[in-house]
Amino acid sequence: MIRVEQISKSFKDTKVLNNISFEIKKGDFVAVMGPSGSGKSTLLYSISGMDSINDGSVLFEGINISQMQEDELSGFRLNKMGFVFQNAQLLKNLSIFDNIILPGLVAKKELAEDIRKRAWSLMKRMEIEGIEERDIREVSGGQLQRASICRAMINNPEILFLDEPTGALNSGATDQVLAILEDLNRDGMTIMTVTHDPLVAAKAKKVIYIIDGQIAGCKKFSVGADRQRELDEWLKGFQSKA
Amino acid sequence: MKLLQNLVWKDFKRNKVITTVLAVFLVLSALFMAGGLRVTGTMISSLNGLNELAVPPQYMIMHKGTYDEGAFENFVKTHDYIKDSLIVKMLDISNANIIYQGETMEKCLMDNGFVIQNKGFDFLLNMDNEIAVVQEGEIGVPVYYGEELGIQVGDVITLHEGDYRKELTVSTIIRDSTMNAALTSSKRFLISQADLDEISLHMGEWEYCFEFLLGEGTSTSVLEKDYMDAGMPRNGVAVTGSLLSMLNNLSYGLVAFIIIAISILLIMIAILCLSYIIRATMAEENYTIGEMKAIGFSGKAIAELYQMKYVMLVLVAGAIGYLAAIPFGDFFSSSVIKYCGYGTVEWMKWVFPFIGVILLSLIVMMRCRRIIRKNLKSTVMELMRGEEKIKKEGHYSLPSSGLKNRNLTIAMGEFKCKWKEYFVIFFVFIFSSFLILLPMNMKNTIENPSFISYMGVGECDIRIDIQYSEKLAEQKDAAISYLENDSEIEKYAIYQNGYVQLQNAEGEWEYIRVVSGDESIFPLAYLEGRAPDDSKEMALSYLNATELGKEVGDSLAVIYQGEELLFNVSGIYQDITYGGKTAKAAIDFDEKDVEVYIIYLDVSDGVTIQEKTGELRSILTDSKITPISEFISQTLGGITDNMGLVEGAAILISLLLIMLITVMILQLITAREHSAIAIKKAIGFSNRDIRIQFGIRILMIQFVAIVVGTILANSLGEEIFGWMLSSMGATKITMLVDPVKAYLLCPAAQLLVVFFTVIVATNVVRKYHIRDQIME
Repeated sequence: MIRVEQISKSFKDTKVLNNISFEIKKGDFVAVMGPSGSGKSTLLYSISGMDSINDGSVLFEGINISQMQEDELSGFRLNKMGFVFQNAQLLKNLSIFDNIILPGLVAKKELAEDIRKRAWSLMKRMEIEGIEERDIREVSGGQLQRASICRAMINNPEILFLDEPTGALNSGATDQVLAILEDLNRDGMTIMTVTHDPLVAAKAKKVIYIIDGQIAGCKKFSVGADRQRELDEWLKGFQSKA
Repeated sequence: MKLLQNLVWKDFKRNKVITTVLAVFLVLSALFMAGGLRVTGTMISSLNGLNELAVPPQYMIMHKGTYDEGAFENFVKTHDYIKDSLIVKMLDISNANIIYQGETMEKCLMDNGFVIQNKGFDFLLNMDNEIAVVQEGEIGVPVYYGEELGIQVGDVITLHEGDYRKELTVSTIIRDSTMNAALTSSKRFLISQADLDEISLHMGEWEYCFEFLLGEGTSTSVLEKDYMDAGMPRNGVAVTGSLLSMLNNLSYGLVAFIIIAISILLIMIAILCLSYIIRATMAEENYTIGEMKAIGFSGKAIAELYQMKYVMLVLVAGAIGYLAAIPFGDFFSSSVIKYCGYGTVEWMKWVFPFIGVILLSLIVMMRCRRIIRKNLKSTVMELMRGEEKIKKEGHYSLPSSGLKNRNLTIAMGEFKCKWKEYFVIFFVFIFSSFLILLPMNMKNTIENPSFISYMGVGECDIRIDIQYSEKLAEQKDAAISYLENDSEIEKYAIYQNGYVQLQNAEGEWEYIRVVSGDESIFPLAYLEGRAPDDSKEMALSYLNATELGKEVGDSLAVIYQGEELLFNVSGIYQDITYGGKTAKAAIDFDEKDVEVYIIYLDVSDGVTIQEKTGELRSILTDSKITPISEFISQTLGGITDNMGLVEGAAILISLLLIMLITVMILQLITAREHSAIAIKKAIGFSNRDIRIQFGIRILMIQFVAIVVGTILANSLGEEIFGWMLSSMGATKITMLVDPVKAYLLCPAAQLLVVFFTVIVATNVVRKYHIRDQIME
């Protein structure tokens, strides 16, 4: 689905991503880990077309999105991608429900009524019914993050990008969000997330570890494996390097 | 201090555009304040200087024909309050007999008189403000002609009548404290005694100016009454010193007044912007302020820190404004300097602007201090939690039917929640629209022929004045017999002007000018009541009615030819001619009492006013024939010329203002909404979408502001215009608007300027990178 080919990115004289290549297949759940400042978030934004790259290419279903103009990319993001950020980024002048349906209404792929129905059903699935008309400051962090996932899913994206989705949540809310992500992936949604948290990474099928803008290791979990244990073991190798 | 300087410099580098725009506002405010005061200072100095050196009369009255010099001398001797007097002999020469550069001066509407230098007072000055002296064969030309016709020293003026020709070389340009202003309808040329004697043998008609200087505290009305009672020569215009001052102030003071008015509005805008910027900046830095408070910085120290930037800004702006006001003020003072010289109290033009700039700086600094202190009142925790940021702005709802026009819906919705942020720009847009339209509408009103209705007569095409002659009745009859037989004249009416005595509010008898004639031919719109329709009724001009304290229905006691007559006030009308003091009544003046016959006429369809004027001038050579449009512009003199200048300046300033305010507000708003911009980008809005949303908000506000500004210019503008002309005699002006210019071209120009500014200013949206915003 996404082929990342030798991408590099620099900020002034500092190389943040250095010759990175990998592939995300349809239905994958990829977690990107690494120490602070290693370039994880930059990698996520570069692959999703939110940030430009200096070298290499990102092919989305064969289309080179790294060559696209900003306005062309925005349409691409609207229709093909969903985004969830660490601090649920919702528009403060809209209610929770209107925040969720906004990308659907902008994309106009479906009738407004169908978009609303989808929003209701997503909210029900995320167990946040009853907060539709509330202000974004009147709900808990977990509810807000689940509302963000609803918004990201409203246009039936082909891939969901998440940047530290549980970074600002307590353990209860983290468990709820992780269960939802697993559930979505089980239904075929491709997911790529950046995280510090091994608990989150353990839900993924593949983990990429980045150090100093380069891939230091890649771990695929086999079906039925004890992912948490395998991951912890694998990560120990990087901790000693760090 | 070094630390503070560094902080200020860093802050400037971070908010370059906002600081620059604020600085421009402050510089403009200082410039206009200092510029207006510089013009005021120069004007006061110039007029004072001219009056001190030229010593204008406090009262003067014109007369044509014979007079008894002995009686005049006796009158002066028997009235102790007369400090000095003068009989100025003026040889009136028709404009058709004066040639400059091969052309006659017929197109000039002024009456031209040739005089010698006066003795005692009322001196004609040269351009160095010294008493002008001309030798035989030389001529001193009024500065008015120097400006209007470009006459220079060394040029030749030729006078001719039949076979007689006299060439005079211009040796000086002269300033005339009595007849300088464009608003006075006569101009004096200075020649030598020998030339005057020679010319008078061949051409011209003598006119006499009886001039007086009065003892301290003596009112000119006392002299006027005694003069009339004594039957002194008086068939011409009487002018008081205060009327001369008013004419001069109107001619030169209007520009200063408008510049100062603009500067006050600019200061208000600058202060509003400043408040907005300080609040916006401090809201962004609440956390830092909270931290500073937490580690023990006192409120005073923090206030000083934040105030420093604005203090430095206003001081720099004040200095630049003061310096820039020198050429700016001098440009707008150039006219008064040419007409009156630099004057004797030149320090005023340096000190007045300095005081103005200091006052401006103090106002801005005090306002700044108040806003900062108010913002610092929050507790440490309130600041660190960012109470300002989480303050609820409210919601808007997306329509259930979907987004037919997504950018319009979102722009309108966001505006509904954030309207308070747009108050400043809304105010500036209203002001700009008002500022463009007011002088434009004023100019349009003045230039419209219907403005004649503020001059005591209904709409007409041409005015003929038959005056200052011993053969008035003959000239009038000749004019009437020509007009009667001219098929190109649609209609005409003849009015006699004479004087009657009337009892004023203090019970004293004073002379007033009465117009008598058929009021139905060119009907006039009355402020109150109607035209007099029988011999027992009299209508008063607004100024007369106000001064006499008379209203419609009141009775008036009038003396004419020694007989007391009782009139009822039938109506009050507006009239800015003859100092605004006239009356209308069906008084059948004796021929010898008629001061002037005025004929108003309309030409038939298809006949041009200019051609008819030319034709009448060639036939009725002794009369003064003026198209009404020229009569209006002549009566208003410098006001119309200045209005054109003010109109152009107002358009430029307004467009510059709206451009600056749009840039500044967009900078502040995009910075405040950076997170919303990032979210919109992340969920699929393009840069173009976001820029369009900002554009819709700004242009929608501007559209409403233009509507409000236009309504204000039409309503409040009328009041302002009425107030400006009320001292001249017209108080209730109906503003005449050119709909294409006012309702189409001006709004379109303003909207276009803002449209292009939005395109440039929202370019910053491209630079707001999602990664920077989300990861912040």
